[in-house]
Amino acid sequence: MKNPILTLSLACATLLHGAAFAQTTPALNVVEVAPGNFAHYAGFEERSPQNLGDNANVGFIVGERCVAVIDAGGSFAIGQRLRQAIRAKTDLPVCYVILTHVHPDHFFGATAFNADHPQYVGHANLPRALQQRGKFYVNTLNRDLGDLAQGSEVVMPTVLVKDQLELDLGNRKLQVRAWPVAHTDDDLTVFDQRTRTLWVSDLLFLQHTPVVDGSLVGFIAAIDQLKAMPADHYVAGHGRSALPWPQSLEPEQRYLQLILTETRQALKNRKTLEQAVDTVGQSEQGNWLNFDLFHRRNVTAAYTELEWED
Amino acid sequence: MQSRVKQIVLSVWVAAMLAAGSALANEKAEPDPAQSTYWDPIKKIMFGDREILDGKDIARVYLPLKADDASTVPITVKAQIEQTPQLYIKTVYVVVERNPSPAGGTFHFTPESGRVMIETRFRFEDFSHVRAIAETSDGKLYMASRWVKAAGGCSAPNGRNFVPPALMGKMKFKFEDETLAYDSPTLVQLMIRHPNESALASDFDPSKTPQFVRSLSITYAGKPVMSAEVDFSISENPSFRFYFVPHEKGELRAEVEDTHDQRFTQTMTIVSGMKLPGG
Repeated sequence: MKNPILTLSLACATLLHGAAFAQTTPALNVVEVAPGNFAHYAGFEERSPQNLGDNANVGFIVGERCVAVIDAGGSFAIGQRLRQAIRAKTDLPVCYVILTHVHPDHFFGATAFNADHPQYVGHANLPRALQQRGKFYVNTLNRDLGDLAQGSEVVMPTVLVKDQLELDLGNRKLQVRAWPVAHTDDDLTVFDQRTRTLWVSDLLFLQHTPVVDGSLVGFIAAIDQLKAMPADHYVAGHGRSALPWPQSLEPEQRYLQLILTETRQALKNRKTLEQAVDTVGQSEQGNWLNFDLFHRRNVTAAYTELEWED
Repeated sequence: MQSRVKQIVLSVWVAAMLAAGSALANEKAEPDPAQSTYWDPIKKIMFGDREILDGKDIARVYLPLKADDASTVPITVKAQIEQTPQLYIKTVYVVVERNPSPAGGTFHFTPESGRVMIETRFRFEDFSHVRAIAETSDGKLYMASRWVKAAGGCSAPNGRNFVPPALMGKMKFKFEDETLAYDSPTLVQLMIRHPNESALASDFDPSKTPQFVRSLSITYAGKPVMSAEVDFSISENPSFRFYFVPHEKGELRAEVEDTHDQRFTQTMTIVSGMKLPGG
């Protein structure tokens, strides 16, 4: 407000830019899961030029001062559509983009918010994970989406969370929590205190086969801790359910616990990796989507982790 | 010498990739191994003009047709003949044609190895023919091959977790049998805690030599059982299963060396009737 003319011209530029943007970019569908908490529920198909990498649930929380984005989607294009969905709800600026972990289906939309100059919030381990995987993820995204991947790039977090961090959106405080290795080694959850809404991201899979890319033992330990967190509303990283919190954690817990028990049993019976992959957890087949894509990989991860247990 | 061969193989691989075109990477059907454009240049470097015979009666290769995790694909090569002093398999070469370092593992055996079998875990950069070439003690070469759908394992990131420096080189022996019996082939697994860094993973810093296991040597009672030259085609925390035949109380000994010249040793004295770890 120090320079009203500049402020006005900036506002006009933003409006003009916004109009052009609105014509070309449809908004993602969002649902208001709790006052001020908007979630977009993604599909379950593999990433393709048709879905542009819209494969992970994303969303945003609106405070009185600004907006926090929780995951930005699997490509720049999806990030733009999420930004469009935010613009349809509020004119407040985006001050935080919280990146819940390194996986590309949650991550690559981040660049769509560069123009908002937000703080990018990530787990203390996220920079290392991005350094290790970023290039590989960019290559495979380009392979799958071709030209439609354009603009999707690795964004380094500007704020790191080691343990807990409180973010204030203006009369709305968010608690960001960094987890020990579980789904990945860089998982964050976000809790909106005002509505007691927990954004669980990929520490909770519903419908979609859970994925272990960190530690099976750690994932199960995280679920135990999550169960103790009070929440009236929640958003999973994939899928949705009518189950209340924390009962909604139970299908995933049952699945992971079964893999743990049966893989340990296979190791005890001196079974090989191949034998374990063929037998462990098969009774869960009918309960999950994308089971063929992820289950056997989970057993491989479980076996190669648990074979070092004494 | 070894690394020079690798360099040549790598450059041939790059040339073959370019010649074959990237469209091949997405093919779904199982192609004919005899028609592969990758194999000829690799074969020339590894075996020159030597004749390679059909290996189905000598050694076969087993692996899942569709690999679930390209960073960890189990491969097994099993001999179809007994090891005898008159005729035995002395070397098994495992070639993953479309890997950046196709000759990822060379395994040496002796008549004392008992039954020749080697099971390990490979990274796969692309859908590929896998070839196991067995060289017998009379100098003949025999080949078996399988096609595998798996992609992205070599350039995929290293590791779900870091191997903490304190655990680096920690090794374990695990056995298939619960108790040891003399004079019969005994299946043992050697596990090595090691990141086995891929030279192609995104985090690989070109100014540093990637640290991976390059050789291992297993002896029993002072006699060679199996030795191998391997590279970053092998998955992190390398694992090798193979047979040996104990005839008396003796020390099972594994010596492992990596590309940073670190050496790791694991020993275990075994005796008839003892309970064997593994369960």
